[in-house]
Order: sequence, then structure tokens, then C-alpha cells
Amino acid sequence: MPIIQIPPPYRGPTGGASEVDVDGATLLECLQGVEAKYPGFGPLVLDAKGGLRKFATWFRNGDKLTGDVLSTPLEPGDAIDIISSVAGG
Amino acid sequence: MAGPADDKMIRVDMTNQTATIEDFPAEYRLLGGRALSAKILSAECDPTCDPLGPDNVLVMAPGVVSGTAAPTSGRISIGGKSPLTGGIKEANTGGQPGQHLMKLGIRVIVVKGQPSDAEARYGLEVNADGVKVVAADAHKMKRNYALCMDLHGEYPKTASFITCGPAGEMRLTGASVATTDQDNRYPARHAARGGLGAVMGSKGLKFVAVDPGRSGVRRPADRARFGELCKTYTKDYQEGPQMFQFGTSSVVPMANMLNTLVYKNRVEGQSPDVETLDGARIVESFETRGGEMHNCMTGCIVKCSNIVHDAQGEYKTSALEFETLTLLGSNCAVASWEDVADMDRLCDELGLDTIETGGAIAILMDSGGLDWGDADGMRTLLNEIDQGTDRGKAIGNGAVATGKFTGHHRVPHALGQTIPAWDPRPLKATGVTYCTSPMGADHTAGLVVNPGLSQDQYVWESQKSQIVNAVCDSSGFCQFLQPSLDDIRNFYGALYDEEVSREQIHDQGWQCLEDEWAFNKAAGLTAEDGYLSEALQKDPIAGQVFDVPMDIINQMYTKLPAQEDLFAAKASG
Repeated sequence: MPIIQIPPPYRGPTGGASEVDVDGATLLECLQGVEAKYPGFGPLVLDAKGGLRKFATWFRNGDKLTGDVLSTPLEPGDAIDIISSVAGG
Repeated sequence: MAGPADDKMIRVDMTNQTATIEDFPAEYRLLGGRALSAKILSAECDPTCDPLGPDNVLVMAPGVVSGTAAPTSGRISIGGKSPLTGGIKEANTGGQPGQHLMKLGIRVIVVKGQPSDAEARYGLEVNADGVKVVAADAHKMKRNYALCMDLHGEYPKTASFITCGPAGEMRLTGASVATTDQDNRYPARHAARGGLGAVMGSKGLKFVAVDPGRSGVRRPADRARFGELCKTYTKDYQEGPQMFQFGTSSVVPMANMLNTLVYKNRVEGQSPDVETLDGARIVESFETRGGEMHNCMTGCIVKCSNIVHDAQGEYKTSALEFETLTLLGSNCAVASWEDVADMDRLCDELGLDTIETGGAIAILMDSGGLDWGDADGMRTLLNEIDQGTDRGKAIGNGAVATGKFTGHHRVPHALGQTIPAWDPRPLKATGVTYCTSPMGADHTAGLVVNPGLSQDQYVWESQKSQIVNAVCDSSGFCQFLQPSLDDIRNFYGALYDEEVSREQIHDQGWQCLEDEWAFNKAAGLTAEDGYLSEALQKDPIAGQVFDVPMDIINQMYTKLPAQEDLFAAKASG
């Protein structure tokens, strides 16, 4: 199963879990799987229209994802990282 | 081109208006910025002194690696006893003066005393020829931008400035210390928190002019190793996600999602105006109005600072940050980033902390003294401050003073300092930082944005963040570069050609906190004094109040064994 690494700001719904193994052939399916397991996670990463929110950058096995990120095909064992900025200034 | 072996320090006596240069103590070589300020204040400042009297000590200390070729490393710390918290305070900022002082080999400026004539103003000139105090009565009560435009004409183009605005001269406890940035030498960077501008003003010190002339970067002891570190670190950063490439204002929508885009004096955690306050709107404005992202200091690779233009395409302010958009924006129910930009500029002109000022205005609004979202009323109010009206002075003195002025009950603060945007109710480990940091409620002391932590994790996560940030704020590196303790100790090792161990760097961070706690204790402050105010204990956001018990809070004062993640943890503030 692909592994979704959960960054600290998104760990409220996951109850502190830092990674979630979830079935899915694409990133979207995996994110839907995380939402099913931890309700409340989905709105953190997806906007009201179902698109990815803009304030995170996505990586698969260390490679930055671009283009239609949600349709990215995933293989068992793939690791997805979500990098988001938090700072005050 | 000064190197670490030639380091000096400047001592200024404002009672007699004299300044001298001394050798910098070799035993302090690995101390800079916040840690150096804490060490000097512990040794030379009576913690019980009047913060606005002659016995307070004002410290201006660049970081250890400032002035070198290390990326994004020119931060300068301003330190002293805070007139706002009554405890020790350090606030740091970017801009050029930190880099310039270190290129001259000046590790710290220590300012003591007070002129007998409270109406007299002075400047301090620092250059390759030495240092001297000069008369500056002609600049009395000038706002920061006008002051700097005049100073540009008086000093060489290579000079940068540290300035005190009218709020500092009026000794208002929300006053900041400004520094000039690299592009236009505007006074847009501020060591904002804790009222240190009032300390500078109380000493009659209107400005410090630092002219490095043709001085080059500092020479590390191990130039090859240091150069390789700079090259590798820069490459890794630039190949990474560069999360601050559009500035901290891009955090607005995420903060809203996390219930920490506080609204109407923090009675709610989300703002209906999130779209119009989002920093993305600022970036979009670059295309039609001009403006851009830039670096506030030479050698910065983060470039998080936005230059904001108005509708006519003229420069308005820089940088408009997340904290300001929240405290002067959503927290006052102001819907437009353009209005917040106006108020940010006014605060920079007056020399005021935008966080403290926004917190104070929200209390005035909550009390009925001004309508929610009345941006024109806020502009009028800010322009009253240097006119000396009672209402203006209350706002300039911050949230607690405004609470007293209005008699309003809801005054969110810790240790007399208003709460930054990041709210301690959904983010309880950050709340533990606010309760225990010697700095009071200051997100830069240890920001933990993790709403999924359990209560038994709060103290370690806060302590880890406080240690990493204390070391970062001593190094000169900007927190937005997000260096780890391992990164910093490696740079120190190359700078001095000695090994700096993990234990040493952990100890340095902890010692800084211990020095500061000891100062606060001697000043008469207790752990209970630091607890968050009643408003945060009783008024919920998203169903949560701040309820971490004191027995958990008090665990912070014991040094916990270092876990592996300490050394890779990134500075975050």
C-alpha cells in the first residue's frame, strides 16, 4: 500500500498519526482513503471543488509532483510527502 | 575583512555620550544574538531596574555567523529588560545592520545610561574609523521613513541604519526598533516585540548608522570547509520546496483551516475574509501594480519579503507578513490586505509592533470604542499616536494598557504581551511555549503547529522548539531558512576550525533559556505570572480553551534528555 506521510499541521484529524498506509491506485484515491479512516483530513488538503489546496507541495518518493497531481498513479510502497509552510513573520 | 580573531565590541555611555571599542571576550566566541544578549544582561543589568531608566542595558548583537558568506545569516538581536513584560527580552530582525556590524568585526553594541536632558537626541556612528556619539536633535520625533531619507543624505550609500521611531521616543511599550533593508534602505524590518524601541528611546538614541565602507565578508578559520558548507546548504535549499518563496502571508488560508486566523479579538478562529487577506492576492498584485519578492539582507536565499505597492503602483510597505495580516486584519475584522498594508506602513513609520498594536486595537473594538473593520478609523487612530492623545498612547502601550484604558475584560496576553496569531487553544504546545518562554507570548520563541499532539507530548515539543529557536536566534540565521542544530554547529565548527558537538549546541540553547529564566526570577516574575490570561482559559475557539495544567507547564523548567529528533528539527517561528 502507498504510505501518506502526514505533516504536523495536518495531524489533528489523524490523532497524531504521522503516516497512514492506505489502498489506492492514484493520489486522489489514497487521500479519499485517508479521509475514510480519519474524517476531517480531506478538507485539510482538498478544497470545496475537490481540487488540491494550494499551500502544500507534494512529493512522491522524494520527487516533486507537478501537473495533475491528484491523478498521479501510485504503487504499493510509494511514499507521499506533503510539505507545507508554517511561519509567523 | 575582519575575522573571528579580531572581534571587537562597542560600549556606549549615554549619560556622558561617549563610546569606546574593546576586544570581544574570546570565551564568548560561540555566543551571538539572543544568547549573547542574555549573557550580557545577566552580568551587567540589574533585573529589578526600571526598564525605561538609566540602569537598563540595551544590547544590539548580530549572530555568530552574520557577516560571513553563509546564506540568510544576517539577523541582529536587540535585547534589554522589557517595559512590556517586566522580564528579559530579545527581538531580532533582518536588514543590513547585522551584516555590516560583523563585516566591521563588531560583535555587539552595549548601550547604558541615559542623558540628563530627556529632550536631547543622539545618533551613534560606527565605521571603519571607529565609533562616536553625535547630536541628533534635528531628528527628534521624525517618523522612520522620513528619518531614513534624511540619514541617506548624511551618510554614505554603503551605510545602513538602526532607528527609533516616535513611539520609542515617547517610551510607548509597544515600540519597536527598526533596521533598514538592502534594496532601498527603507526602515521596513523591525525587532518588534517587547517594547525595546521604548528602551532605545529612553536612552535618547534616535539612530545607529553603520557604514562598513569597503569591508568584505568575515573570514572563517577553515575557509574551505565553510565555503563547502555554504555551497551545499544553498544548493539543497534551492532544490527543495522553498516554502517561503511567496512569504509568510501565504500561510493565511492554512491558518484559517487550523482555526488560528483569529477573528474579532480572538473570539473566533476563522475569518470570513480569508480570501481577501490571503497573501496570494498580494503576489497577484505584482503583475498590475509592481512589487516583488526580495531579500531583506545581502546573501539571503529565502527571499520571503514581499514589496507591496499601492493601486497607483507606488511603494507602500515591506514586508506584509502573516502575523500582521492576522492581528491588524482578521483580528480587527478588517477584510482587505490593502488596508492592512496601510496600517503596516503606519506602524513601521511610528516604530510599533504590529502584533501588539493589532491586539490592542481589537480590544478597543471589542469594548465598543471603534467599529469592527473600520479601517479608516484605525488609520486615524494610528495617526493619533505620535500626537499624544490618551487613546493613541493606550494603543501604543499595547494590549494590557488598552484593556485598562477601556476597562474591557477580554485581554488575551501572557506576561503582559499580547498573543501572536498562532493561537494557543488549538495549538496547545505553542501555548506551553507562550506560558514558559522567558519572552512571554512570542511565537518566534518556539512555534509548534501540530494540533495532533497529546498532553504528554506538549512539553518536549515546546522545549525542543524553544532550544532550536534560541540557538537559531543566536546564530544570525533566519528562522525561515529553517536550519537545524546540526546545520548550525557545522557552520560554527568551520567558522572557528573546531568541532562543536551535539551536546555543546544543545547546552548552548538550554543555557540561553536558563540565563533568561534566572533574569526573570530575579526581576520578581514567577511561573504563574507567565500563564495565559483568563480570556484564553474561558473563551473557546473551535470548542477548545487553553487548559494545560501548571504541573505539566512546570516540567518545562527541567532539561529533558535530547531525543534524536532534536538535532534535525528545523527552526520555526
